[in-house]
Amino acid sequence: MSDGVGIWRCRSCGTGYFPARLLCPRCHGHDFVEDRVTEGVVEEITVVRHVLGQTDWQPHRLANVRTVNGPRITVGLRDESGPGTTIRLFEEGTVPFGAAKPAS
Amino acid sequence: MSANAAIIGVGQSTYVRRPQSGQTTHTFIRDAVVAALKDAEVDAADIQGMAVTSFSLAPDTAIDLAWRLGLSLRWLLQDTNGGCSAMNMLGHALRGVETGAASPILVVAGDATGLGGYAKIAANYNIATREHLAPLGHGGPNGVYSLVTTRQMNKYGIGKPDYGQMAIAQRSWAAKNPFAVYRTPLTMEEYLAAPMVADPLTRYDCVPVVAGAQAIVIAYPDRCPRGRAPVQVRAIRHSFNYDNQEGDGLQTGISTFADELWQAAGRRPEDIDVASIYDDYPAMVLAQLNDLGMIPDHDLAGFARREIGEKRKPINTWGGMMSAGQPGGPAGGLNGISEAVLQLQHRAGERQIKDAHCAVTTGYGMTLYRYGGTAAAAILEGMA
Repeated sequence: MSDGVGIWRCRSCGTGYFPARLLCPRCHGHDFVEDRVTEGVVEEITVVRHVLGQTDWQPHRLANVRTVNGPRITVGLRDESGPGTTIRLFEEGTVPFGAAKPAS
Repeated sequence: MSANAAIIGVGQSTYVRRPQSGQTTHTFIRDAVVAALKDAEVDAADIQGMAVTSFSLAPDTAIDLAWRLGLSLRWLLQDTNGGCSAMNMLGHALRGVETGAASPILVVAGDATGLGGYAKIAANYNIATREHLAPLGHGGPNGVYSLVTTRQMNKYGIGKPDYGQMAIAQRSWAAKNPFAVYRTPLTMEEYLAAPMVADPLTRYDCVPVVAGAQAIVIAYPDRCPRGRAPVQVRAIRHSFNYDNQEGDGLQTGISTFADELWQAAGRRPEDIDVASIYDDYPAMVLAQLNDLGMIPDHDLAGFARREIGEKRKPINTWGGMMSAGQPGGPAGGLNGISEAVLQLQHRAGERQIKDAHCAVTTGYGMTLYRYGGTAAAAILEGMA
């Protein structure tokens, strides 16, 4: 697990993308630098309860998250965080997850 | 407008929830082709062009299908645009006929993935899905469109019963379609009590995947069998990757060309007698109707209650994919085109809309990451 989610930021206009793009949709620059987004606000949540053909499926929580200074991404929610909550983001391999921020 | 090309015949295979032994994508496509050629009164030997789309034809491609069907062609296309493939193939085929490249052209689509095949497709839809969504257990498109549906409910004040109006109305149309896999009337109580699949989507919000195929024949209008009007496409427009996945998914690519489409067709939304709106999810039907300018004041909930629920406005009159079945995403789009043709030729049997003269058909699909990236719409009419 690593803190934050890797995104790709256009060197020319600064816009952040996830997943990676080949050209920037805004300015069509082709040079990107890796960046990390560590927090986001939960916008919508779903619980995937049934999947066609799967008999031993365990429900999974997913969320659409508006990252701070970055793109909207779909994450696996590891707790009961609800819409409007600012959560911390982390990654396992290429897969983005989120969970409540630790109490400060 | 395509003045010298028209749809002259349609045909389909049976639709089944699970392919039986001996039934494959290829055999369903064969059955649809045989039906469409018979309907169009065209000999296979006369076919000059073919377009095909399928998620489960591989490793075969269009040329393999031509070979297996014994068709020697001078025009061949394979389309990969999912729920928009049928509309895309329609546009290419119309231009193919009009430019003299080929006529008649057979446009065919079919799938028979089975459960295992469907799961593989859903998890490997594209690289973004394989790397960033499937490992989350997103459950295929249901997981994606559950989030889109929640957004639409919040933005437009739509309740579950509003979506239910669409499921119930389409089921009542399906009762009049012998090819539909679900024909038993659906009540609001049953709709609301259905098991949750991916909140807020319940069973009847999720399109049932079936095995089956559809085909249509496009040719010079004078090839149309006597006694029926060739169906002309007054205008057709497409959109691909319209917003780079940076919006909320509640507008589709149709929003980028709707005004131009109506203008090119010389028709207005109120001229439409029958609508075939690509219905993988109820939310996307409302989104496309809204983009087309067919929902007054953008009151999506009111439209669902009054126009679909109470007035049974003729939308997806074969039952839609929601009740008739979705033979893979790509083939699904041909259902709506075929139904529009039958309605405009006054051949839709029990479900015929009286004096149907003008139809709109759409396609929507290819979920890139957060929602679909392809969309298309066409205005169809029977030629005088």
